[in-house]
Amino acid sequence: MTRNWRHPVPTPDCYAMSRILYDIHHHESDLERYKADPDRYMASSPLSARLKAAIRDNDIGAMYLEGVNPLLLRAHCLGLRIPESEFVASLRAIEHIVREENDHG
Amino acid sequence: MAEVVGVYATSHTPVMLNFPNAIPDADRKEIFDAFTTVGDELRALRPDAVVIISDDHVHNFFLNNLPAFCIGATDFYPTPVEHWLKAEKRVLAGHGSLGAYLVTMALQEGFDPAFSMDLTLDHGVLTPLELAGIAGEVAVVPILVNCVQPPLPTMSRALQWGRFLAKALRSFPEDLRIAVLATGGLSHDISTPRMGMVNEDFDRKFLALLAGGDDAALVDYAAGHVDEAGNGAEEVRTWLIAHGAARGVFEQIYYKPMPDWYTGIGLGRWALQEKA
Repeated sequence: MTRNWRHPVPTPDCYAMSRILYDIHHHESDLERYKADPDRYMASSPLSARLKAAIRDNDIGAMYLEGVNPLLLRAHCLGLRIPESEFVASLRAIEHIVREENDHG
Repeated sequence: MAEVVGVYATSHTPVMLNFPNAIPDADRKEIFDAFTTVGDELRALRPDAVVIISDDHVHNFFLNNLPAFCIGATDFYPTPVEHWLKAEKRVLAGHGSLGAYLVTMALQEGFDPAFSMDLTLDHGVLTPLELAGIAGEVAVVPILVNCVQPPLPTMSRALQWGRFLAKALRSFPEDLRIAVLATGGLSHDISTPRMGMVNEDFDRKFLALLAGGDDAALVDYAAGHVDEAGNGAEEVRTWLIAHGAARGVFEQIYYKPMPDWYTGIGLGRWALQEKA
């Protein structure tokens, strides 16, 4: 069955990833610090290196799979001027994973 | 006592303002004309306040504190909160005393809304007002329902909220002319592998059920099929609230699927059965 959301309630990792995206797209100084050095900006976050890398590398599909809020993913695309084609392609690339999950309940 | 003089609902999407030319000219003209119709009708109703039922797209609220329902209770609302939205920055007049009254009544009636006296409203509120040509002309009372981050209030609860509003708005102890404008939906998917999908079947069935008069079937359909219509379709909660508030018969003004705007575009009004 197709579902609109990854989690019925956000996980702590989902919260921490969403927190980073929210802050950098609602506070201009955070965006500047993030763009200057993403790894340093995220240094104090409790996220694993893998999840920090997903944010740093603009791996939209990976962030979606972790359950990052989709509105914040959209803001991330617009705020960092990620080309629309790249944004959509990253999501389409994980479509088979989502479909398999849905097929198996 | 106050009078509810009109109830309307429209889709909203930022691409209406940011990328209007992404769809054919004829479609854009049809859609913008439909918004103008809503604006002209609302203006003719001479509302003292427009209760706008929408959602906050993770701007005023975040996962650290995200109300299921929040009522604005102040006299001014800066907008838009999105720096990237192609819309004039303006401050919308609010109707703080009506908002405060609704908060108080809701708590007395068994609802538990948050309230805010500091909201910077986003495209969900501003886009329909801009396209209708009434932004800045009307005082607003925003009611923001969480449609953007689970756990979400149920579709059934949305209809209950509408029925509460039907009673509360009409009991406001001032001679006020109040309109209701719900904004959101219809089917669309944001930042998912299905982004760009519009589920026309869902949209047309939902609109038909709004007009059909069987509220139980309407709520059941919305709850049971929203996952087929996309995460943006969760915003049909705003239409259900308007439906409950109207005590009237829904009439579709316009519908067309617009995948190049990522959204099924619908507009409608309720023919009110009672006018004080």
